[in-house]
Amino acid sequence: MNGVTIALAKGRLGEKGLDLFKDTDMEIIREKDTRKLVFKDYKESITYIFVKPSDVMTYVEKGVADLGIVGKDMILEEDKDIYELMDLNYGKCRFAIAGFKDQTTVKEDDVLRIASKYPNYVKRVFEDRGQKVEIIKLGGSIELAPIIGLSDIIVDLVETGSTLKENGLVILEELDPISARLVANKASYRIKYDTIKKIEKILGGAK
Amino acid sequence: MEFKSISEELSALKYKKSIEREMEDYFESKGFSIIEPDIFQNYDDFLLSNFRHDSSKTVKVLGGDSKIFILRPDITSNILGKILSRWEGKPPLKVYYNSRVYSNSPGGGIKESYQVGVESLGDKPIVADTEILEMAITLMESLKTPYVLELGSSKYLDSYIRELKLNSKDEFQIRNLLAKKNKDELINLLKKKDIKSPILDAILDMEGNMEEVIQKARRLYVNYEMEGSLNSVESLMAFFKERDLLDKVNLDLSMIPDLDYYDGIVFKGYCQGTSKKVISGGRYDKLTEMFGRNVSAVGFMIDLGLATQLRYRGENR
Repeated sequence: MNGVTIALAKGRLGEKGLDLFKDTDMEIIREKDTRKLVFKDYKESITYIFVKPSDVMTYVEKGVADLGIVGKDMILEEDKDIYELMDLNYGKCRFAIAGFKDQTTVKEDDVLRIASKYPNYVKRVFEDRGQKVEIIKLGGSIELAPIIGLSDIIVDLVETGSTLKENGLVILEELDPISARLVANKASYRIKYDTIKKIEKILGGAK
Repeated sequence: MEFKSISEELSALKYKKSIEREMEDYFESKGFSIIEPDIFQNYDDFLLSNFRHDSSKTVKVLGGDSKIFILRPDITSNILGKILSRWEGKPPLKVYYNSRVYSNSPGGGIKESYQVGVESLGDKPIVADTEILEMAITLMESLKTPYVLELGSSKYLDSYIRELKLNSKDEFQIRNLLAKKNKDELINLLKKKDIKSPILDAILDMEGNMEEVIQKARRLYVNYEMEGSLNSVESLMAFFKERDLLDKVNLDLSMIPDLDYYDGIVFKGYCQGTSKKVISGGRYDKLTEMFGRNVSAVGFMIDLGLATQLRYRGENR
Protein backbone atom coordinates (compact mmCIF):
# COMPACT_ATOMS: atom_id res chain seq x y z
CA MET A 1 0.00 0.00 0.00
CA ASN A 2 3.00 2.27 0.48
CA GLY A 3 3.82 2.51 -3.22
CA VAL A 4 4.93 5.82 -4.64
CA THR A 5 3.74 7.38 -7.91
CA ILE A 6 6.10 9.70 -9.78
CA ALA A 7 4.85 11.98 -12.55
CA LEU A 8 7.44 12.72 -15.22
CA ALA A 9 7.27 15.40 -17.86
CA LYS A 10 6.92 13.76 -21.27
CA GLY A 11 9.99 14.37 -23.41
CA ARG A 12 13.66 14.84 -22.75
CA LEU A 13 13.31 16.09 -19.19
CA GLY A 14 11.29 13.07 -18.04
CA GLU A 15 13.38 10.53 -19.95
CA LYS A 16 16.50 11.85 -18.31
CA GLY A 17 14.73 11.75 -14.95
CA LEU A 18 13.98 8.09 -15.48
CA ASP A 19 17.65 7.48 -16.29
CA LEU A 20 18.55 8.63 -12.79
CA PHE A 21 16.89 5.48 -11.44
CA LYS A 22 19.03 3.20 -13.61
CA ASP A 23 20.94 0.49 -11.72
CA THR A 24 18.97 1.14 -8.54
CA ASP A 25 16.27 -1.14 -7.20
CA MET A 26 13.70 1.32 -8.51
CA GLU A 27 14.71 0.92 -12.14
CA ILE A 28 12.08 0.03 -14.72
CA ILE A 29 12.51 -2.05 -17.82
CA ARG A 30 10.64 -0.67 -20.82
CA GLU A 31 10.06 -2.14 -24.21
CA LYS A 32 11.46 0.14 -26.89
CA ASP A 33 9.26 2.62 -28.77
CA THR A 34 6.33 1.97 -26.52
CA ARG A 35 3.50 4.47 -26.31
CA LYS A 36 2.41 3.36 -22.89
CA LEU A 37 2.19 6.11 -20.29
CA VAL A 38 2.27 4.08 -17.08
CA PHE A 39 5.19 1.91 -15.92
CA LYS A 40 6.07 0.07 -12.75
CA ASP A 41 9.44 -1.00 -11.41
CA TYR A 42 9.97 -4.73 -11.06
CA LYS A 43 8.98 -4.79 -7.41
CA GLU A 44 5.90 -2.76 -8.31
CA SER A 45 6.62 -0.36 -5.48
CA ILE A 46 6.99 2.60 -7.79
CA THR A 47 4.71 3.72 -10.59
CA TYR A 48 6.02 6.13 -13.18
CA ILE A 49 3.52 8.10 -15.21
CA PHE A 50 4.34 10.28 -18.20
CA VAL A 51 2.24 13.42 -18.49
CA LYS A 52 2.26 16.73 -20.31
CA PRO A 53 4.99 18.94 -18.75
CA SER A 54 2.51 21.66 -17.84
CA ASP A 55 0.33 19.08 -16.03
CA VAL A 56 3.00 17.62 -13.70
CA MET A 57 2.36 20.28 -11.05
CA THR A 58 -1.38 19.63 -11.12
CA TYR A 59 -0.93 15.86 -10.73
CA VAL A 60 1.33 16.43 -7.74
CA GLU A 61 -0.76 19.11 -6.05
CA LYS A 62 -3.89 16.96 -6.34
CA GLY A 63 -1.99 14.00 -4.92
CA VAL A 64 -2.57 11.48 -7.75
CA ALA A 65 1.21 11.59 -8.09
CA ASP A 66 3.25 11.74 -4.87
CA LEU A 67 6.34 13.09 -6.58
CA GLY A 68 7.08 14.82 -9.85
CA ILE A 69 10.10 15.58 -11.97
CA VAL A 70 9.53 18.87 -13.71
CA GLY A 71 11.33 21.97 -14.95
CA LYS A 72 11.65 24.99 -12.68
CA ASP A 73 9.92 26.98 -15.45
CA MET A 74 6.68 25.09 -14.74
CA ILE A 75 7.08 25.58 -10.99
CA LEU A 76 7.45 29.34 -11.48
CA GLU A 77 4.52 29.50 -13.87
CA GLU A 78 2.06 27.33 -11.97
CA ASP A 79 2.81 28.48 -8.41
CA LYS A 80 1.19 25.46 -6.75
CA ASP A 81 1.10 24.44 -3.12
CA ILE A 82 3.81 21.73 -3.17
CA TYR A 83 7.27 21.05 -1.80
CA GLU A 84 10.25 21.60 -4.05
CA LEU A 85 12.64 19.02 -2.66
CA MET A 86 15.65 18.92 -4.94
CA ASP A 87 17.51 20.59 -7.74
CA LEU A 88 18.36 17.69 -10.05
CA ASN A 89 20.98 19.77 -11.82
CA TYR A 90 20.16 18.85 -15.40
CA GLY A 91 18.01 20.38 -18.12
CA LYS A 92 19.75 23.65 -17.38
CA CYS A 93 18.75 26.82 -19.18
CA ARG A 94 17.29 30.15 -18.10
CA PHE A 95 14.38 32.50 -18.49
CA ALA A 96 15.32 35.57 -20.48
CA ILE A 97 13.75 38.67 -21.95
CA ALA A 98 14.63 38.85 -25.64
CA GLY A 99 14.04 41.35 -28.42
CA PHE A 100 15.85 43.18 -31.18
CA LYS A 101 19.31 44.62 -30.62
CA ASP A 102 19.28 48.17 -29.18
CA GLN A 103 15.79 47.56 -27.78
CA THR A 104 15.10 48.12 -24.05
CA THR A 105 12.59 46.62 -21.64
CA VAL A 106 11.18 50.06 -20.91
CA LYS A 107 8.55 51.81 -22.99
CA GLU A 108 7.69 55.15 -21.49
CA ASP A 109 4.11 56.40 -21.81
CA ASP A 110 3.14 53.30 -23.71
CA VAL A 111 2.15 49.70 -23.17
CA LEU A 112 4.96 47.16 -23.51
CA ARG A 113 3.64 44.08 -25.31
CA ILE A 114 5.24 40.81 -24.20
CA ALA A 115 4.67 37.43 -25.84
CA SER A 116 5.32 34.31 -23.76
CA LYS A 117 4.29 30.76 -23.00
CA TYR A 118 4.49 31.76 -19.32
CA PRO A 119 1.96 34.58 -18.66
CA ASN A 120 1.81 34.20 -14.86
CA TYR A 121 5.57 34.31 -14.56
CA VAL A 122 5.85 37.36 -16.83
CA LYS A 123 3.18 39.12 -14.78
CA ARG A 124 5.21 38.59 -11.61
CA VAL A 125 8.49 39.69 -13.21
CA PHE A 126 7.00 42.99 -14.37
CA GLU A 127 4.82 43.57 -11.28
CA ASP A 128 7.12 46.01 -9.50
CA ARG A 129 8.69 47.65 -12.53
CA GLY A 130 6.21 50.46 -12.99
CA GLN A 131 5.81 49.52 -16.63
CA LYS A 132 2.39 49.03 -18.20
CA VAL A 133 2.43 45.67 -19.96
CA GLU A 134 0.18 43.60 -22.14
CA ILE A 135 0.92 39.91 -21.94
CA ILE A 136 0.18 37.80 -25.00
CA LYS A 137 0.03 34.07 -24.34
CA LEU A 138 1.31 31.85 -27.10
CA GLY A 139 1.70 28.08 -27.28
CA GLY A 140 4.98 28.04 -29.20
CA SER A 141 7.18 29.74 -31.84
CA ILE A 142 7.50 32.69 -29.48
CA GLU A 143 10.40 34.14 -31.49
CA LEU A 144 7.98 34.92 -34.28
CA ALA A 145 5.99 37.44 -32.22
CA PRO A 146 8.34 40.47 -32.40
CA ILE A 147 9.21 39.74 -36.02
CA ILE A 148 5.65 39.99 -37.23
CA GLY A 149 4.82 42.78 -34.82
CA LEU A 150 2.59 40.84 -32.44
CA SER A 151 4.70 41.95 -29.46
CA ASP A 152 7.61 44.24 -28.58
CA ILE A 153 9.61 41.65 -26.69
CA ILE A 154 9.36 38.03 -25.55
CA VAL A 155 10.04 36.09 -22.37
CA ASP A 156 11.15 32.53 -23.00
CA LEU A 157 13.55 29.75 -22.03
CA VAL A 158 16.99 30.16 -23.55
CA GLU A 159 19.51 27.34 -23.61
CA THR A 160 22.23 28.24 -26.12
CA GLY A 161 20.59 31.25 -27.71
CA SER A 162 20.89 29.85 -31.21
CA THR A 163 17.14 29.95 -31.91
CA LEU A 164 17.09 33.62 -30.93
CA LYS A 165 20.08 34.34 -33.11
CA GLU A 166 18.60 32.64 -36.16
CA ASN A 167 15.57 34.86 -35.81
CA GLY A 168 17.57 38.03 -35.35
CA LEU A 169 16.83 38.41 -31.65
CA VAL A 170 19.17 38.96 -28.69
CA ILE A 171 18.91 38.53 -24.93
CA LEU A 172 17.97 41.85 -23.33
CA GLU A 173 17.92 40.63 -19.77
CA GLU A 174 18.60 37.34 -18.01
CA LEU A 175 15.99 36.15 -15.51
CA ASP A 176 15.74 33.05 -13.29
CA PRO A 177 17.99 30.03 -13.91
CA ILE A 178 16.06 26.86 -14.74
CA SER A 179 16.78 23.17 -14.15
CA ALA A 180 14.90 19.95 -13.46
CA ARG A 181 13.43 19.66 -9.96
CA LEU A 182 11.96 16.98 -7.75
CA VAL A 183 8.62 18.15 -6.31
CA ALA A 184 6.35 16.47 -3.76
CA ASN A 185 2.74 16.56 -2.64
CA LYS A 186 2.60 17.85 0.94
CA ALA A 187 0.42 15.05 2.31
CA SER A 188 2.38 12.31 0.51
CA TYR A 189 5.59 13.76 1.87
CA ARG A 190 4.45 12.93 5.40
CA ILE A 191 2.53 9.71 4.75
CA LYS A 192 5.33 8.20 2.62
CA TYR A 193 8.19 10.02 4.32
CA ASP A 194 10.66 7.10 4.46
CA THR A 195 10.23 6.05 0.82
CA ILE A 196 10.50 9.64 -0.39
CA LYS A 197 13.70 10.16 1.60
CA LYS A 198 15.09 7.00 0.00
CA ILE A 199 14.26 8.33 -3.48
CA GLU A 200 15.89 11.66 -2.62
CA LYS A 201 19.02 9.76 -1.67
CA ILE A 202 19.06 7.84 -4.97
CA LEU A 203 18.61 11.04 -6.96
CA GLY A 204 21.18 12.86 -4.84
CA GLY A 205 23.75 10.17 -5.57
CA ALA A 206 23.08 10.50 -9.28
CA LYS A 207 23.67 14.24 -9.40
CA MET B 1 -22.31 18.30 -3.37
CA GLU B 2 -25.36 17.45 -5.48
CA PHE B 3 -26.89 14.01 -5.32
CA LYS B 4 -28.94 12.39 -8.04
CA SER B 5 -31.84 11.50 -5.81
CA ILE B 6 -33.14 12.93 -2.60
CA SER B 7 -32.92 9.58 -0.82
CA GLU B 8 -29.21 9.43 -1.57
CA GLU B 9 -28.78 12.92 -0.23
CA LEU B 10 -30.71 12.12 2.93
CA SER B 11 -28.68 9.04 3.70
CA ALA B 12 -25.39 10.87 3.09
CA LEU B 13 -26.55 13.67 5.36
CA LYS B 14 -27.59 11.19 8.00
CA TYR B 15 -24.15 9.66 7.93
CA LYS B 16 -22.43 13.04 8.17
CA LYS B 17 -24.65 14.08 11.07
CA SER B 18 -23.86 10.87 12.96
CA ILE B 19 -20.17 11.69 12.72
CA GLU B 20 -20.75 15.28 13.81
CA ARG B 21 -22.74 14.04 16.78
CA GLU B 22 -19.99 11.63 17.74
CA MET B 23 -17.43 14.43 17.62
CA GLU B 24 -19.64 16.78 19.62
CA ASP B 25 -20.24 14.12 22.27
CA TYR B 26 -16.52 13.57 22.50
CA PHE B 27 -15.82 17.30 22.93
CA GLU B 28 -18.52 17.52 25.62
CA SER B 29 -17.01 14.57 27.44
CA LYS B 30 -13.70 16.43 27.54
CA GLY B 31 -15.34 19.42 29.20
CA PHE B 32 -15.70 21.64 26.13
CA SER B 33 -18.93 23.53 25.63
CA ILE B 34 -20.51 24.58 22.37
CA ILE B 35 -20.31 28.14 21.13
CA GLU B 36 -22.20 29.70 18.22
CA PRO B 37 -20.24 32.25 16.22
CA ASP B 38 -22.17 35.21 14.81
CA ILE B 39 -22.96 34.89 11.14
CA PHE B 40 -22.77 38.63 10.38
CA GLN B 41 -19.70 40.60 11.34
CA ASN B 42 -19.18 44.32 11.17
CA TYR B 43 -16.86 44.84 8.21
CA ASP B 44 -14.92 47.74 9.75
CA ASP B 45 -14.26 45.84 12.96
CA PHE B 46 -13.17 42.83 10.97
CA LEU B 47 -10.67 44.84 8.94
CA LEU B 48 -9.16 46.28 12.12
CA SER B 49 -8.20 42.90 13.52
CA ASN B 50 -7.55 41.12 10.20
CA PHE B 51 -5.54 43.64 8.22
CA ARG B 52 -3.86 40.91 6.20
CA HIS B 53 -7.07 39.27 5.06
CA ASP B 54 -7.74 39.29 1.34
CA SER B 55 -10.82 41.52 1.30
CA SER B 56 -11.96 40.34 -2.13
CA LYS B 57 -12.71 36.94 -0.59
CA THR B 58 -15.15 38.11 2.07
CA VAL B 59 -18.85 38.02 1.24
CA LYS B 60 -20.38 41.44 1.92
CA VAL B 61 -23.93 42.17 2.94
CA LEU B 62 -25.55 45.60 3.05
CA GLY B 63 -27.52 46.32 6.23
CA GLY B 64 -30.66 48.47 6.45
CA ASP B 65 -28.79 51.63 7.37
CA SER B 66 -26.21 51.03 4.62
CA LYS B 67 -23.69 49.59 7.06
CA ILE B 68 -21.52 46.90 5.53
CA PHE B 69 -21.46 43.46 7.11
CA ILE B 70 -19.66 40.31 6.05
CA LEU B 71 -20.64 36.67 6.35
CA ARG B 72 -18.14 35.14 8.75
CA PRO B 73 -15.01 34.11 6.85
CA ASP B 74 -13.44 32.21 9.75
CA ILE B 75 -14.45 31.08 13.18
CA THR B 76 -11.48 31.43 15.52
CA SER B 77 -11.25 35.22 15.31
CA ASN B 78 -15.04 35.47 15.40
CA ILE B 79 -15.37 33.67 18.71
CA LEU B 80 -12.26 35.28 20.18
CA GLY B 81 -13.90 38.67 19.67
CA LYS B 82 -17.05 37.35 21.31
CA ILE B 83 -15.29 35.80 24.28
CA LEU B 84 -12.42 38.11 25.13
CA SER B 85 -14.49 41.27 25.41
CA ARG B 86 -16.76 39.74 28.03
CA TRP B 87 -14.73 37.06 29.76
CA GLU B 88 -14.50 37.40 33.53
CA GLY B 89 -11.09 35.81 33.23
CA LYS B 90 -11.84 32.60 35.03
CA PRO B 91 -9.57 30.18 33.18
CA PRO B 92 -9.55 27.79 31.55
CA LEU B 93 -12.33 28.33 29.05
CA LYS B 94 -12.87 25.47 26.63
CA VAL B 95 -15.23 25.72 23.70
CA TYR B 96 -16.05 23.88 20.49
CA TYR B 97 -17.94 24.93 17.40
CA ASN B 98 -19.67 23.29 14.47
CA SER B 99 -20.55 25.94 11.91
CA ARG B 100 -20.08 27.15 8.37
CA VAL B 101 -17.82 29.78 6.89
CA TYR B 102 -18.33 31.76 3.69
CA SER B 103 -16.06 33.08 0.99
CA ASN B 104 -16.37 34.37 -2.57
CA SER B 105 -15.31 31.71 -5.03
CA PRO B 106 -13.44 32.61 -8.23
CA GLY B 107 -16.38 31.68 -10.48
CA GLY B 108 -18.53 34.40 -8.95
CA GLY B 109 -20.44 32.18 -6.54
CA ILE B 110 -20.34 32.01 -2.77
CA LYS B 111 -18.59 29.05 -1.20
CA GLU B 112 -19.92 27.57 2.01
CA SER B 113 -17.75 25.16 3.97
CA TYR B 114 -18.20 23.30 7.22
CA GLN B 115 -15.78 23.76 10.08
CA VAL B 116 -15.68 21.87 13.32
CA GLY B 117 -13.08 22.75 15.88
CA VAL B 118 -12.04 23.32 19.48
CA GLU B 119 -10.33 26.17 21.32
CA SER B 120 -8.78 26.04 24.78
CA LEU B 121 -8.17 29.44 26.37
CA GLY B 122 -6.29 30.41 29.52
CA ASP B 123 -5.02 26.97 30.50
CA LYS B 124 -1.39 26.24 31.38
CA PRO B 125 0.32 25.98 27.97
CA ILE B 126 1.79 22.50 28.29
CA VAL B 127 -1.40 21.09 29.80
CA ALA B 128 -3.52 22.60 27.03
CA ASP B 129 -1.10 21.55 24.27
CA THR B 130 -1.15 17.97 25.46
CA GLU B 131 -4.91 17.90 25.78
CA ILE B 132 -5.48 19.42 22.33
CA LEU B 133 -3.02 17.02 20.69
CA GLU B 134 -4.61 14.08 22.45
CA MET B 135 -8.00 15.11 21.08
CA ALA B 136 -6.58 15.59 17.58
CA ILE B 137 -5.05 12.10 17.71
CA THR B 138 -8.28 10.57 18.98
CA LEU B 139 -10.17 12.10 16.06
CA MET B 140 -7.57 10.92 13.55
CA GLU B 141 -7.80 7.40 15.00
CA SER B 142 -11.58 7.47 14.61
CA LEU B 143 -11.24 7.85 10.81
CA LYS B 144 -9.98 4.26 10.59
CA THR B 145 -7.38 5.25 7.98
CA PRO B 146 -3.58 5.26 8.36
CA TYR B 147 -2.45 8.77 9.30
CA VAL B 148 0.54 10.92 10.22
CA LEU B 149 0.55 13.89 12.54
CA GLU B 150 2.98 16.58 11.43
CA LEU B 151 4.16 18.59 14.42
CA GLY B 152 6.19 21.79 14.40
CA SER B 153 7.15 24.46 16.86
CA SER B 154 7.35 27.87 15.22
CA LYS B 155 9.20 29.40 18.18
CA TYR B 156 12.40 27.49 17.50
CA LEU B 157 12.87 29.02 14.07
CA ASP B 158 11.15 32.37 14.69
CA SER B 159 13.29 33.34 17.65
CA TYR B 160 16.39 32.34 15.76
CA ILE B 161 15.51 34.31 12.63
CA ARG B 162 14.77 37.34 14.81
CA GLU B 163 18.24 37.05 16.28
CA LEU B 164 19.85 37.02 12.83
CA LYS B 165 18.46 40.54 12.21
CA LEU B 166 17.99 39.97 8.49
CA ASN B 167 16.53 42.67 6.30
CA SER B 168 12.87 42.04 5.51
CA LYS B 169 13.49 41.04 1.89
CA ASP B 170 16.05 38.37 2.79
CA GLU B 171 13.86 37.09 5.60
CA PHE B 172 10.88 36.86 3.26
CA GLN B 173 12.92 34.92 0.71
CA ILE B 174 14.37 32.57 3.31
CA ARG B 175 10.95 31.86 4.80
CA ASN B 176 9.52 31.16 1.37
CA LEU B 177 12.28 28.70 0.53
CA LEU B 178 11.84 27.00 3.89
CA ALA B 179 8.09 26.71 3.32
CA LYS B 180 8.80 24.98 -0.01
CA LYS B 181 11.55 22.80 1.55
CA ASN B 182 13.79 24.08 -1.20
CA LYS B 183 17.12 23.19 0.33
CA ASP B 184 19.31 23.67 -2.75
CA GLU B 185 18.12 27.21 -3.40
CA LEU B 186 18.28 28.06 0.31
CA ILE B 187 21.93 27.02 0.54
CA ASN B 188 22.69 29.06 -2.59
CA LEU B 189 20.95 32.12 -1.19
CA LEU B 190 22.80 31.89 2.14
CA LYS B 191 26.07 31.61 0.28
CA LYS B 192 25.25 34.53 -2.00
CA LYS B 193 24.18 36.76 0.89
CA ASP B 194 27.12 35.61 2.99
CA ILE B 195 24.84 34.54 5.83
CA LYS B 196 26.77 32.03 7.91
CA SER B 197 24.32 30.00 9.93
CA PRO B 198 24.79 26.38 10.93
CA ILE B 199 21.15 26.30 12.02
CA LEU B 200 19.71 27.45 8.68
CA ASP B 201 22.09 25.05 6.91
CA ALA B 202 20.70 22.16 8.92
CA ILE B 203 17.11 23.22 9.58
CA LEU B 204 15.57 21.39 6.62
CA ASP B 205 17.02 18.13 7.95
CA MET B 206 15.45 18.70 11.32
CA GLU B 207 12.39 16.60 10.61
CA GLY B 208 11.26 13.05 10.98
CA ASN B 209 11.45 10.88 14.07
CA MET B 210 10.85 13.02 17.19
CA GLU B 211 13.69 11.64 19.27
CA GLU B 212 16.30 12.06 16.53
CA VAL B 213 15.17 15.56 15.60
CA ILE B 214 15.23 16.80 19.17
CA GLN B 215 18.70 15.34 19.61
CA LYS B 216 19.92 17.16 16.49
CA ALA B 217 18.29 20.43 17.52
CA ARG B 218 19.69 20.23 21.06
CA ARG B 219 23.16 20.57 19.62
CA LEU B 220 22.30 23.78 17.80
CA TYR B 221 20.05 26.08 19.81
CA VAL B 222 21.42 29.52 20.60
CA ASN B 223 18.89 31.25 22.81
CA TYR B 224 16.55 30.79 25.69
CA GLU B 225 13.40 30.75 23.57
CA MET B 226 14.73 28.03 21.30
CA GLU B 227 15.63 25.93 24.30
CA GLY B 228 12.19 26.53 25.74
CA SER B 229 10.50 25.37 22.56
CA LEU B 230 12.63 22.19 22.55
CA ASN B 231 11.69 21.55 26.16
CA SER B 232 8.00 21.78 25.41
CA VAL B 233 8.31 19.55 22.35
CA GLU B 234 10.18 17.07 24.51
CA SER B 235 7.42 16.91 27.07
CA LEU B 236 4.93 16.29 24.26
CA MET B 237 7.18 13.47 23.12
CA ALA B 238 6.88 11.88 26.54
CA PHE B 239 3.12 11.93 26.08
CA PHE B 240 3.29 10.32 22.62
CA LYS B 241 5.73 7.73 23.90
CA GLU B 242 3.48 6.80 26.76
CA ARG B 243 0.59 6.25 24.32
CA ASP B 244 2.83 4.32 21.94
CA LEU B 245 2.15 6.85 19.18
CA LEU B 246 5.69 7.94 18.34
CA ASP B 247 5.60 6.28 14.91
CA LYS B 248 2.53 8.32 13.97
CA VAL B 249 4.24 11.63 14.65
CA ASN B 250 6.61 13.42 12.32
CA LEU B 251 8.37 16.36 13.96
CA ASP B 252 9.34 19.22 11.66
CA LEU B 253 11.21 22.13 13.22
CA SER B 254 11.49 23.89 9.86
CA MET B 255 7.74 24.13 9.46
CA ILE B 256 6.49 27.57 8.46
CA PRO B 257 2.87 27.83 9.65
CA ASP B 258 0.16 28.61 7.08
CA LEU B 259 -1.26 31.32 9.31
CA ASP B 260 1.18 33.85 10.66
CA TYR B 261 -0.50 34.24 14.03
CA TYR B 262 0.58 30.81 15.16
CA ASP B 263 3.34 30.94 17.77
CA GLY B 264 4.33 27.75 19.54
CA ILE B 265 3.22 24.30 18.51
CA VAL B 266 1.67 23.91 15.07
CA PHE B 267 0.27 20.67 13.73
CA LYS B 268 -1.46 19.08 10.75
CA GLY B 269 -3.04 15.68 10.34
CA TYR B 270 -2.72 13.85 7.04
CA CYS B 271 -4.45 10.60 6.05
CA GLN B 272 -3.43 8.05 3.48
CA GLY B 273 -5.16 8.53 0.15
CA THR B 274 -5.85 12.26 0.37
CA SER B 275 -3.86 15.27 -0.72
CA LYS B 276 -5.26 17.67 1.87
CA LYS B 277 -4.87 18.01 5.62
CA VAL B 278 -7.78 16.70 7.66
CA ILE B 279 -6.86 18.52 10.85
CA SER B 280 -4.86 21.67 11.37
CA GLY B 281 -4.17 23.64 14.49
CA GLY B 282 -1.73 25.26 16.82
CA ARG B 283 -1.06 27.79 19.54
CA TYR B 284 -2.09 31.38 18.82
CA ASP B 285 -1.50 33.49 21.95
CA LYS B 286 -0.36 36.31 19.65
CA LEU B 287 -3.82 36.56 18.08
CA THR B 288 -5.51 37.12 21.43
CA GLU B 289 -3.46 40.28 21.90
CA MET B 290 -5.27 41.83 18.96
CA PHE B 291 -8.48 41.47 20.94
CA GLY B 292 -7.01 43.37 23.83
CA ARG B 293 -5.99 40.55 26.09
CA ASN B 294 -3.00 38.24 26.24
CA VAL B 295 -4.26 34.74 26.91
CA SER B 296 -2.78 31.30 26.42
CA ALA B 297 -4.73 29.89 23.46
CA VAL B 298 -4.54 26.68 21.44
CA GLY B 299 -6.97 24.84 19.19
CA PHE B 300 -7.59 23.00 15.97
CA MET B 301 -10.18 22.53 13.30
CA ILE B 302 -11.29 19.62 11.20
CA ASP B 303 -12.24 19.54 7.54
CA LEU B 304 -15.58 17.86 8.15
CA GLY B 305 -16.26 16.97 4.51
CA LEU B 306 -12.93 15.21 4.16
CA ALA B 307 -13.24 13.50 7.56
CA THR B 308 -16.66 12.11 6.63
CA GLN B 309 -15.35 10.81 3.32
CA LEU B 310 -12.33 9.14 4.96
CA ARG B 311 -14.39 7.58 7.69
CA TYR B 312 -16.87 6.21 5.15
CA ARG B 313 -14.06 4.71 3.11
CA GLY B 314 -12.34 3.41 6.23
CA GLU B 315 -15.46 1.62 7.43
CA ASN B 316 -16.27 0.10 4.05
CA ARG B 317 -12.83 -1.15 3.26
